[in-house]
Amino acid sequence: MSDLVEQLVHGLTLGSLYAMVATGLALMFGVVRLINFAHGEFYMLGGYAFWYAYAELGLPYPVAGLAAAAAMAGFGLAYERGVIRAILTRTWHVQLIATLATSITMTNLAILVFGTQPKEVPTRLSAAILDVGGVRLAWQRLLVLVAAVAIFAGLEWFVAHAKLGKAMRAMSQNREACAVVGVDVQQVALATFGISAGLAGAAAALVSPLFNIFPDVGALLTLKAFAAVIVGGFGYVRGAIAAAFLIGIAESLAAGYVSYAYKDAIAFVVMVAVLLVRPQGLFGRRIGI
Amino acid sequence: MRAVRWGLGSGVLVAVPWIVAAALPGQQRYVLHVLIFTALYGALALSYDLVVGHVGSLSLAHPAFFGLGAYAAALLATEGRWPFAAALPAGIAVAALVALAVGVPMFRLTEHSFAMGTLGFAIVTQVVATNWVDFTHGPLCVTGIPKPQVGALRIATLPAFYWMGLAALALVALLYRGLTTFRLGRAFHAVRDNETLAAAAAIDPLRYRMLAFVIGGAVAGGVGALYVSYVGVLCPGELTVGLSINLLVMIFLGGVGSLRGVLVGAAAFTALPEVLRMAPTWRMVIYGLLLLVIVIRLPDGLEGVIRRGTSLGRRAPGAR
Amino acid sequence: MTGTGHRMIGIAIAVGLAWGLAADAPPARAQGAPPIRVGFSSAMTGPSAITGEGVKWAAQMLADEYNAKGGIMGRKIELYWGDNAGTPGEAVSAVRKLVDVDKVDVIVGQTHSGACLGALPVVKELQVPMVIEACSHPKIRELIGKNGNEWAFRVNPDDVMLANQFAKFMAQSTKTVSIFAQNDDFGRGAATAYDAAFKKVGIKLVSTEFFDRGQADYRPVLTRVKRANPEAVLLVMLASEGSVFMRQFREVGLTQKLYARGSMATVEFLYQVKDSPNIADGLVEATYWTPALDPAWEKQWLERWKVPVRIHGSLAAIAFRYAVAPAIEQAIKKTGKADRKAIRDALEEVDVHNTPVGRIKFDDTHQAFINMLLVEISGGQLKVLEKIPIQP
Repeated sequence: MSDLVEQLVHGLTLGSLYAMVATGLALMFGVVRLINFAHGEFYMLGGYAFWYAYAELGLPYPVAGLAAAAAMAGFGLAYERGVIRAILTRTWHVQLIATLATSITMTNLAILVFGTQPKEVPTRLSAAILDVGGVRLAWQRLLVLVAAVAIFAGLEWFVAHAKLGKAMRAMSQNREACAVVGVDVQQVALATFGISAGLAGAAAALVSPLFNIFPDVGALLTLKAFAAVIVGGFGYVRGAIAAAFLIGIAESLAAGYVSYAYKDAIAFVVMVAVLLVRPQGLFGRRIGI
Repeated sequence: MRAVRWGLGSGVLVAVPWIVAAALPGQQRYVLHVLIFTALYGALALSYDLVVGHVGSLSLAHPAFFGLGAYAAALLATEGRWPFAAALPAGIAVAALVALAVGVPMFRLTEHSFAMGTLGFAIVTQVVATNWVDFTHGPLCVTGIPKPQVGALRIATLPAFYWMGLAALALVALLYRGLTTFRLGRAFHAVRDNETLAAAAAIDPLRYRMLAFVIGGAVAGGVGALYVSYVGVLCPGELTVGLSINLLVMIFLGGVGSLRGVLVGAAAFTALPEVLRMAPTWRMVIYGLLLLVIVIRLPDGLEGVIRRGTSLGRRAPGAR
Repeated sequence: MTGTGHRMIGIAIAVGLAWGLAADAPPARAQGAPPIRVGFSSAMTGPSAITGEGVKWAAQMLADEYNAKGGIMGRKIELYWGDNAGTPGEAVSAVRKLVDVDKVDVIVGQTHSGACLGALPVVKELQVPMVIEACSHPKIRELIGKNGNEWAFRVNPDDVMLANQFAKFMAQSTKTVSIFAQNDDFGRGAATAYDAAFKKVGIKLVSTEFFDRGQADYRPVLTRVKRANPEAVLLVMLASEGSVFMRQFREVGLTQKLYARGSMATVEFLYQVKDSPNIADGLVEATYWTPALDPAWEKQWLERWKVPVRIHGSLAAIAFRYAVAPAIEQAIKKTGKADRKAIRDALEEVDVHNTPVGRIKFDDTHQAFINMLLVEISGGQLKVLEKIPIQP
């Protein structure tokens, strides 16, 4: 029993990670209909930003975490201006190659700049262990979960109530109409990239103390988050979050009870099965984010 | 005129081993090696473009078919002691059969889900190749794969492998040409450009998509079998998702849906790293940036540049 | 027209950038006698790029050191890189480039067994000597030397050669073991070797798990280990994964005795866990290189690269310093030149006693037999427990 609880706990940690990355992907897809294949690399860069602020500059953990998220938000804005704006109106294949090219460039630049040795950023919370009836977990895992839930709640509120958030939702439903009624479409797209990249940075600041930061940490992450976005129903943020947690938990259970070596295969088999039964994704084809 | 040009071109291609030896003495073996990889990558990229460029399905399963053909041929040649003439068709057949079996459910998925589903299949294939150690040897790799021997003809030298690669590429190019022009090609493009309209015109989208997918998979399997016969070792690391990315880069760099474009893309992709001789990591960075600039500035890939460059403005064969 | 103009400018910039960097550094010609061209080949891109980085750093240190002394017998060392990305196909390309384009006289490397297996037939075909520094596939020994490839030599032992001794050591205090190994040639090869060795000494193998490198979360499998409850765990992993693994090992609350193969009892590892240096106390690793063997090298490395000395670079350095360099020297003395054939012949004669790793002399299978070490992490420090000569 405690065994199962343990596996579920791992699943929730992984799920939070996937969900924070998938949310960014889903937002981008929802608002501008573009899949950012460099999103895992955003997480990687966020990790290095956090490492720099926390381990090199010696900032306190919350400050360093926010700094990483802010730095990545800034990076997201620059990315939108520098790369995305040039390809927004182009076909999907141009977008695909452009974001893939960004991902190749970022990974290899990271090798050059930061080296291949993984960076470790243990915090006080990642070393402190909570023991509940034999199930032991680092406090950091709780922090990841709580912070992830808080972020998602904040995002919900933002999309429902803030002016910018409402504009994002409107754009995800009908871009042309938005332009007609005077929504500054470009500004909204810009903000979406800032928020999405900021989320990746926040995810990195939360999760890196548990795992390592290294140049190609993003590769598999993009795929898993992408899977969550699709299983969740394309561009539907709540669906993507739920799917991300499902994938995280499925992966943990598979690793714990079936085979560790085959866990990624199992995660993807489950995903394909879901897609075959419900090609529109688990949560239907909703319009909007 | 055309025939003369074709004849001349083919003659030059066949004579490459001698030309290279005369032009670059001392380096000819390396250049030939790069050309062999270019030919095999070119054939693989063409088979991939059948699916992506002509029926418009973004499949990410290609590394799996390449790997299935490679593993089938490698295992049959080493453990089964099959001759090359049997192992190669077996590799093609295995890849084709699996493509058929996988394609049926996959094509129930639409665009992005299809991409994801095929990606899932590719990952599963790689994980199985890595972990089913008793059968595939896993990360310990299949070693000692024999050089091809067909009757008295033994392919063991670099020029021989070059001609083998060239012949394979020529065959695949002919197949590609045949499939993408004429009535069949028009049906493919109808399916790609407007599925609903195609269906209304009594063109069954699924049938044509499956046709391209299975043929593409079979060719990829065949290239896989040739590849392992050349390299002599097969490890599961050869069929990563990274191969899909390389192939995508090749066809988009060169020009989707165009025979010449894809070949130029494959050549540029394999040759570029050799031309850009520098620290490997820098090479990848430059390569990523170059790709970004090309794809933003040159949407039709290099094929677009070539077409604009030829003042005649003729439409390239196979172009949209 | 302006659109095309812009495009052309874009291409021109990109190509210019590429060429500018490409032309960056043609190796400086040495004065007088022609230089010795040495190729170092390892994974410099892709998921295993960390090994290639270490190899490259070590090679640069060596070249500077030898060239400052005037080279070997007055011949400067010139370095060339081959990137095998850890795969056989790329290794073929890397070797062909090093030999035909860069015209190297000798190759050190490949690091990864898959790459080694791909490179072996090519070095034989091109007739260039290759000294293997770290490929651990047991099959390699069946392929080189009198077994068919006179051009390849291997300095490092493989796990078939280490396992019996190490298993004997474990059996003194352990009856049941779980193996946790990285899912590559090294991990799989070691797992097979130890499975066999355990049977001989009466250790029961409770479970074997494989993980892919770059994995984030080991907890699911640690929970499995908890369930299987062995007395000890044998880790086959590198420092880069090991630190995260050990944190989670402690998080789960496991207290099993730890044995290791790879680079766990290393300064790399201790550097990664510097916030909690005692995390892996009691771990005993079977290895053949540790910084204590050569403190001067470690110090030099740290000064130059500001990171702890890496095992893969150090192995490449050992291969160069105690096999390749003496062979070059001997070749020049004997034949007056250092061409590929002369270096190959000289490698067969190399016999260097008292290197930091023991004696380096290749037998007729072109395998050297250096010492095996048992290194323990104790109080956050490395302690060499035993030096055991490996028997041919």
